[in-house]
Amino acid sequence: MVSKTEEEQVNRLESQVENGGGGAWEYLCLVRKLKLRRSDKVLKFGLSILNDPKKRSALGPEEWTLYEEVAVAAMDCQCLDVAKEFTKVLQKKFPGSKRVGRLEAMLLEAKGSWAEAEKAYMSLLEDNPLDQIVHKRRAAMAKAQGNIPLAIESLNKYLEIFMADQDAWRELAEIYVSLQMYKQAAFCYEELILSQPTIPLFHLSYADVLYTLGGLENLQTAKKYYASTIDLTGGKNTRALFGICLCTAAIGQLTKGRNKEDKENSQLQSLSAVALEKDYKQRNQSKHSLLTATLKSLKLS
Amino acid sequence: MGVGFVVGVLGVLILSHAAYSTIQYRAMLKITEEEFSGPPINVVVELIAGLMLCMWAALTVPGKFLSILSHSDENRVVALPENLDFMIFNHRGKAIPMGIDAKLK
Repeated sequence: MVSKTEEEQVNRLESQVENGGGGAWEYLCLVRKLKLRRSDKVLKFGLSILNDPKKRSALGPEEWTLYEEVAVAAMDCQCLDVAKEFTKVLQKKFPGSKRVGRLEAMLLEAKGSWAEAEKAYMSLLEDNPLDQIVHKRRAAMAKAQGNIPLAIESLNKYLEIFMADQDAWRELAEIYVSLQMYKQAAFCYEELILSQPTIPLFHLSYADVLYTLGGLENLQTAKKYYASTIDLTGGKNTRALFGICLCTAAIGQLTKGRNKEDKENSQLQSLSAVALEKDYKQRNQSKHSLLTATLKSLKLS
Repeated sequence: MGVGFVVGVLGVLILSHAAYSTIQYRAMLKITEEEFSGPPINVVVELIAGLMLCMWAALTVPGKFLSILSHSDENRVVALPENLDFMIFNHRGKAIPMGIDAKLK
């Protein structure tokens, strides 16, 4: 989970290395630790380190991890010959290694030769039928080919065996949302919240899905989850603040005919509206008038 | 760091000196066979001074305190790590050329 300080640190290091100051190795380590996908920068900085024999020998045994990281970044940037060379280097150093085998299969995937990549993954699975990463790569390959039902099926089968895998649940939830199967996506997000209840972004996505589903109960639950997101992020998440306002407006519209009980609903909405206005005044003065107009229309409806 | 450390050592020395004085005072009281009601005033003053110095050193020497609240401005989660296990290479970036030189060895 990337915290605010870590994000600032990464951005600062990136601009520092970009402008010629040192620290490329720290940047690469930080990106690897936080699992960010900044392939163009990783490729550029990694190549600058690996092309310099002095810096390369200064790394010691970490050199091979860097080779792997830059190879994957090269595949992401479509510099396939660079990736191929690095894979060959790794293959020479670690012959018969599963990790290098996976890298080679990923290279085949990046090239677009799906059948060969599938064959490579199946052979890797024969040696170790419970290899998590290979199963996940096969599902990713199905998604890349556009065969979403197969991707869903393979992910479901994978999750039957490895129920605790957060990444797979997240991926499945995103696929369901892309297919507009919101009930199933809500189930996946519930699993994620159950296992990691302190991450506010899961609460936020769950609330979004519930709000999209609609219906009075879902809207009330969505409002609760937007409120918990605000709680977990210290009130700085703009999307959750907007979510509260919209949920209250939607609930108000649905319960127009029934008797209006003045609970603390109005307090929650007015507080989030005030927080939003303060935030916009501070960060984006030009859009502030737009915000006040929108909030006014919401309060009236 | 240096000053705090020195102050801490000084505080510990003062405390140990106060402990030694109290032991000597008790020994003297045993000779004169009086009750040991409490340490003499100067030892109490020495104890308080040692306490202050040690506390100040303990707070200064470790350095800047880090925030522990998970929703404070520094610690709040802004992004989730990308799902790198499911990364696909079949994206629009394929059409954008990278202005990068090939690898030299």
